[in-house]
Amino acid sequence: MLKKYYSLLLFVLGVSLFSGCSEKSNPAFDQQNFASIFDNSKFDASYFPIDMRETPDGGYIVLGGRRLSENSDFAGIYLLKADQYGKFVKEIEVPASTGVYPVGKLVEYQTKYYFFCMDAQTLQAQIANVDALLEAVSVTPVQGNLTYPAAASFANNNFILLSYNNNDKQSVISVLNTDGGILKTKGYDIGVGSDDQIITEKYVIEHYLRTGRQWPFEAGVMANGLYYFNGFYNYTFSLVFTNAASDDPSNVAQGQSDKGGLSGVSYLGANKFALSRFSYGNNYFLPGKDIPGGDPASSDFGGFTLPELVADAPVKILQAKTDTKNALVYASNTKSKQIGLYFYEQETGTFISSRYLGFSNPYEISSLIQTSDGGLAVCGTTYLAGRFPRICIFKISKDELNGQLSK
Amino acid sequence: MKRRYLVLLFFLIAATVNAQEKKRSGSDKKRKSAAYNKKAKEDDKFLEKQWWLGFKAGPNLSKVSVDKSYAVVSPTNYDASSIGKTYKNFSLMGSQATLEVSFYFKGFLISFQPTYQRSRFEYSNQFNWMDTIPEHNVALNYHQEQKLSYAVLPLLVKYDFLHGRLRPYVQLGIYSALLLDATTIVTVSGVDQASGGANEFKNEPIIVGSKDLFAKSHWGLLGGVGLNYNLGNNVRLNFDVSYKYGMSNISSTKNRYSSDRLSGVGDAMDDLTLDNVAVTLGCLFPLRFLSSGFKTLDKK
Repeated sequence: MLKKYYSLLLFVLGVSLFSGCSEKSNPAFDQQNFASIFDNSKFDASYFPIDMRETPDGGYIVLGGRRLSENSDFAGIYLLKADQYGKFVKEIEVPASTGVYPVGKLVEYQTKYYFFCMDAQTLQAQIANVDALLEAVSVTPVQGNLTYPAAASFANNNFILLSYNNNDKQSVISVLNTDGGILKTKGYDIGVGSDDQIITEKYVIEHYLRTGRQWPFEAGVMANGLYYFNGFYNYTFSLVFTNAASDDPSNVAQGQSDKGGLSGVSYLGANKFALSRFSYGNNYFLPGKDIPGGDPASSDFGGFTLPELVADAPVKILQAKTDTKNALVYASNTKSKQIGLYFYEQETGTFISSRYLGFSNPYEISSLIQTSDGGLAVCGTTYLAGRFPRICIFKISKDELNGQLSK
Repeated sequence: MKRRYLVLLFFLIAATVNAQEKKRSGSDKKRKSAAYNKKAKEDDKFLEKQWWLGFKAGPNLSKVSVDKSYAVVSPTNYDASSIGKTYKNFSLMGSQATLEVSFYFKGFLISFQPTYQRSRFEYSNQFNWMDTIPEHNVALNYHQEQKLSYAVLPLLVKYDFLHGRLRPYVQLGIYSALLLDATTIVTVSGVDQASGGANEFKNEPIIVGSKDLFAKSHWGLLGGVGLNYNLGNNVRLNFDVSYKYGMSNISSTKNRYSSDRLSGVGDAMDDLTLDNVAVTLGCLFPLRFLSSGFKTLDKK
């Protein structure tokens, strides 16, 4: 009798052991790792992301653009909210009458998310904001006459905006408060003087119409108070340093017409930048570069060459921190139509490892952020069925990031 | 929860069969004492215990049950269920080979049957893009086939109904399956109307090693029926039909999106349990002999 119960007990123990060792659902895993493609079933729908931020609820807001119609000049504004698992929650297709041509960065300030756009009629720059739940979009025109916003960042509670003045053919760097008031502004000639030089303006306009190359415009401020912008100046695509008051820039890392320049700029501190550059179709990464004075040429900066990237590839650079390492993550588009992630040690600039996202359908980088759980979120465009542009997000866990940085 | 109730049911059946056997063996003893002489009693006693070693192999078919669904594509203007995966169960044939070691005692066998099992299952989903212009229409079909190799370690209790040459039996048990290998094959096909006509296409299959996407092990219950046929020369032919009922998730919850290639294609594994029905043919050899000439008394 006792033996029978021993065997039953053994069976129960066996089941308990198996059950205990089995694979269990864990919502934390679903949050730490995911891949999402946000699809719209409309044949002519077209979306592209610009920037992304994590929201306090663990979800994500994506600032993007959308195709308005076949004959529209500028892209419309598109906002998308995803939950912490990367699932679609809400979208806003902002009417063209409110604003067009959204520009990053998407800036989190207090409880709102700010970005720039422009008025479809007057082309005047506007500051737009939206809450974390995408309840409402509010737009405020920038005071003065700033047109064609190109890039923006946020420092010391002020916006730094790079814009384009089509009347004076100038790249304009401005410092604005959150209400759109101009604190500083200064324009620098892009270099349009004679017929053959009008080509520079053509590059700029085609960028805004999205009929030509998308230039890696950038704007920011250094610890010493100097502002910088990556844009057209004096016939070249250059990194310009200025106090936003003097007629001449303090320093210029010069490009070579439209053939060479910096494709990615991330300020690290002091005089140091993480850079990437393009030169006649080639791409180079420079993880940690002091910009020398005396108007140097960016073509002399050297760097690691990456022939696997598409010609003059767009590059996004992120400073990422793990428990043991400070890293620089470069993200760009490969010739195999994937998003390539390249991990470097920030202190030494030593290459650590790489990873490639996407397969089968083409994938292109737009933005990458480090999330509050220590992981990475990568936002890009994929072309479903090889043709329909849709926004995608890849979430990489902290463990995976640590593994990537330990190789 | 449903699966836990089955464990309980299995438990009750095992207890009932045990009780009945005890009753039956009591009455058998009385009959034997009257019918057989001392030698026969010794033979019977010998036959009460036997070790069997055998090999069997055969095909299997698999079925999966979805506990929780996952997808890479997150629709913004249509219902997610319209692009949900459709599983086709018991459609792709797998195979298995088993080494059987059994100990027979008074009609019952305790059997350990390490098995190499190759299971296959498939699912598909469809995406459509269209608008008001009839030609603006593209339909894509994604077909995914999963091939899984497991080392299955089942522990079974078998009961022989008859004791003649033909011995039908039932069996119940528990198993643990250790993942050895996994491969995913994705085939994309579709119809593109936008080019001016119905352009049907089928891309080359994408074949990806996907071991990381599956749990390293899972477990389940096993039940079945079978027949042993004694050839009279110490060898038994065995025909066996068994059903493995998966009790735990076969997908890796941590590595669901770890394959950049499959995530890029838009594929994410659901939380699944795997059921498997197998038919095997094989033979069994006794390991206890009465004399040096490999003679057993089991010649009925």
